[in-house]
Formats: sequence, C-alpha cells, structure tokens
Amino acid sequence: MTGGFMVFLFFQMVRTWKTYRWRRWFFVALGLLFPVGFIHNVIAMRGTMGIPIEEMIAGRTPFCFIPIPLLILPAALTKTLVFPGSILPNGGMSGGGMAAMAGIWLAATIVVGKGWCSYACFFGGIEEGMAAVPAKAKLSKIDSRWRLGPWAVLLAMVLLSLALFEPAYCMWLCPFKAVSEYVAARNTVGSVQNGIFILLFATLVVALPLLTKKRTQCAFFCPFGAFQSIFNKASVFEVKIDRSRCTPCVLCQKSCPTLALNDESIVRGETLMSCMKCGACVDACPKDAAVWHIRGTEVAAKPERARLMFLYAAWAMAIMFGGSIIAGGLATILHVFL
Amino acid sequence: MSKNLSAKLGYTGAGLTVFAAVLAPFLLYGLFTKAFASLGLHVDEVYSGGPRVRTIQAAGYSIDIHRQVSPHMLQSEKLFVQLDWRPATALPSHVSDLVDIDGDGKPDVRVSFDVPKDPKAPLRVDVDSLNPRYPAMHNVGKQKFSKLIVRVDDAILVRIPVAQ
Repeated sequence: MTGGFMVFLFFQMVRTWKTYRWRRWFFVALGLLFPVGFIHNVIAMRGTMGIPIEEMIAGRTPFCFIPIPLLILPAALTKTLVFPGSILPNGGMSGGGMAAMAGIWLAATIVVGKGWCSYACFFGGIEEGMAAVPAKAKLSKIDSRWRLGPWAVLLAMVLLSLALFEPAYCMWLCPFKAVSEYVAARNTVGSVQNGIFILLFATLVVALPLLTKKRTQCAFFCPFGAFQSIFNKASVFEVKIDRSRCTPCVLCQKSCPTLALNDESIVRGETLMSCMKCGACVDACPKDAAVWHIRGTEVAAKPERARLMFLYAAWAMAIMFGGSIIAGGLATILHVFL
Repeated sequence: MSKNLSAKLGYTGAGLTVFAAVLAPFLLYGLFTKAFASLGLHVDEVYSGGPRVRTIQAAGYSIDIHRQVSPHMLQSEKLFVQLDWRPATALPSHVSDLVDIDGDGKPDVRVSFDVPKDPKAPLRVDVDSLNPRYPAMHNVGKQKFSKLIVRVDDAILVRIPVAQ
C-alpha cells in the first residue's frame, strides 16, 4: 500500500511538473503516521508514553536525529554521548541505536542536504498539515528576523548541553515530546518539563501554522533545522530565481513555509541557506522564474532536468526512510482497528 | 570554457548524488553506522552507571560494584557509586547486605530493600552508613540518577551518593 502511494505521488510529480503539492501528501502522511506507530510501540512495550528512569539506565531511550548537534561538543571533548540511549541496538525501544540514526542522517545529508527537513523529518509533516488547513493566512506579516530563531535556539542548546551534560533540548524544549514520549513526571521538574512540551507543541506546531500557513516550528525554533542549513552548501541541488523572468510578484516569498526567501535574496536570485527544497516557491511562481538548479550550470538551463535529478535522489531517501515509517503507522492502524 | 567545465562538474555531482541515494540503504548507511560505532564513544556514565570493577558473591546471588561516577561541569547529579544485585529472581524477599564498596576489607554500608514478586512494583531502599564517605539514605525510590533503586532487566540497581 505504501509503495503504491509513494509511486503514485512520484508519478504525479513528474506528470504535473508540481513538486510541493504531491510531496506534501507524503510529508503529512509521514508526520501523522509516525506518532501513531511510535506511541503504539511505546505503550505496547512500556505501558506508558513517559520514559521510565529504568529504561534510560538500560540505554533504551529511542534516539531521534534532533539531538545530533547537541551531542557533538561533549563527544568531541570527552568522547561521551550525553544521551540515555545505546550506541548499538539494545532491545526495547532502542531501535537500531544511536549509530543507526547517525548513519541514516549522514547518508541522507550527503544526498539531500537541508532537503532532510522536507523529505525525511518525521515531525515536520504535522505542522505542514496544520498549515495546509486554512485557505488564507490570518497572520501574514512576519518580521523576517524571526528566521534567526533556530540559530539562537541551536547556540543556546549546544552550550547548555555542554554545560549541563544532558540533551538540553530534549529535556526542556522539544515540542514533539508531546506526540512521542515525554519525561516521566517523577517530580515537579518533570511536570514542568512536560507542561513546556505541550505548550510549545500547541503554539508552534498547531496554533501558529494555522494562523500563518507557515511551518513555524521549523522556521522559528528547530535547532536541528538550523544545523542542517550548514550542509545546504554541500548539496549540488538548489532553488534559484531566474532574474530574467522574475517580475517580482513575491508569490514565492509568500509561499515559502520557512521564510527562506526575502526581498534581498530574490534580487540576488537565490534562496537563503534555510531553504529546505520543498518546491513551494517553484510551484507558486506564475512566470516559472523560481527554478530547480544544479550548481555550476546556467540558472535557466534545463530546470526540469535538475528537478528530476533532485527528485530521484530525494524520493529514494523518502521511500527508504519515510516509507518504512508510513508503512509502520498504517500497519498499526490496521492492527488496532481490524 | 570554464562555464562548460563547471556545468559538467555540476551534472557529475548531481549524477553521483543520485547514485549515492540508490546506494544509501545498501552501502552508505551501513558504512556510516559502523564508522560511528567505531569512534570509541561511550554513553555518559550518569546514565550507564560506569564500568563494573568488582563482584562480591553472596548466597545464590552476586553484588557488582561499579566505578564511582563523577558528574561533569554543571550537571545536576552528585558523585555516586552503583551496586547491582543479580539475578533479581534469586534474591530473597528481603535483602540486607553489608557491602565493602572501596575494597579495603571493611564494610562501608548496609543496604536493605524488599524484593516484591511483581517485577513492576516500586522499590524502596535504606542505606545505613558505616563510612562517612557514603551518607545514609532512607526510603529512597528513584528521584535522581545519583540516588535511586530500580530494577533493570534481571538486576536490582542501587545508586549511593558519595560525599566529596
């Protein structure tokens, strides 16, 4: 079923020349089905969404990609991973261990760079789905300085994780703890942490995307997204603005879910480094001025070839990583209801 | 000429990226996973409890003594030592053991706890101090990583703070 769904979406992307419209179906399905499969597994194995201290000591806390940038400094300085998981598979919810997630992340980063946030992240689809609900944004004027938010959170969390020797973002700020697993509320501090997770999820993942039609958690908050932006320059694929065709109507800027285009970048014919290659601007441009591009080639040279080459790579990753998660979520629903 | 060359390099890079995407599940992913695992990193001992340094044999079960774990920088936990009673299934319904933690031949603490038949039942521990390095603690559950009693798989772990 999942294979058919993914092949259908790819076929539609190729046939209609639209990327964002069809990719969104995959991404929202991924965002909605990941918590279904994950929470079901957690409850089946532990009986609760709270991580018991016993599981942390046993090294069976599931490791997602978001803490990766927070672990680098403590690991580089002391060879210590400040996460209560295990490096190799260790039973329970440890999955493939931290090494497996690091392997997936490295392989995907080489292939799609910041495209991870559009084709592999299993959290972003929730807010993308929320952003798709209203026909029009109620809050349309957003100060572009908000796009520096993820960098501020990244810097603060990297330093705090080094100082406290714990994955500070996971402990205090991750909105997605609300739909995956949370700190078992052993004391007042645990209750405060869980309150923060729920508040951030309700604000950044539900309310603000509904009001702004943007992926606000990704655009204003996610430290992993900021970290992943660094690798955007390593990817040969990018989105450019063909200045000879641009009017400029700024529809691309309005359609960008993460504020990766501003007036200056449009004049320069570029997206900002936070561009996650979702294709929203390319789909929205009525003059075909927003184009897929391969570094080193002319801007307007065969953009469809660039789009297809990127899609072959990105969709291969999406099928392998996201497809298995979608299949897991669907299997859970079938298992529970049938 | 240089534009032509850069375009060729760009397309080569794009082709290699597609190739890498196809190779990812068969080669790259496994390669990177193995490379990460071989970096010699270890999980913070505040979570893992540190390496085992000594084992004391008791009647039908053993007590593993781990190396003392020191917190890093501003970590909120205190210096502690972990003791494991295993196998939990061989323990009597009430354990009260004198334990020589530092290996000097003299007991440092008396550790007492009940072992409920239900492995999911909450545990409480009392530690009587026989050495000022290991302060007493009473009716402790699992509030902090440095001061707790928990059942992990087939062992009961007790973490005792160490006075600095």
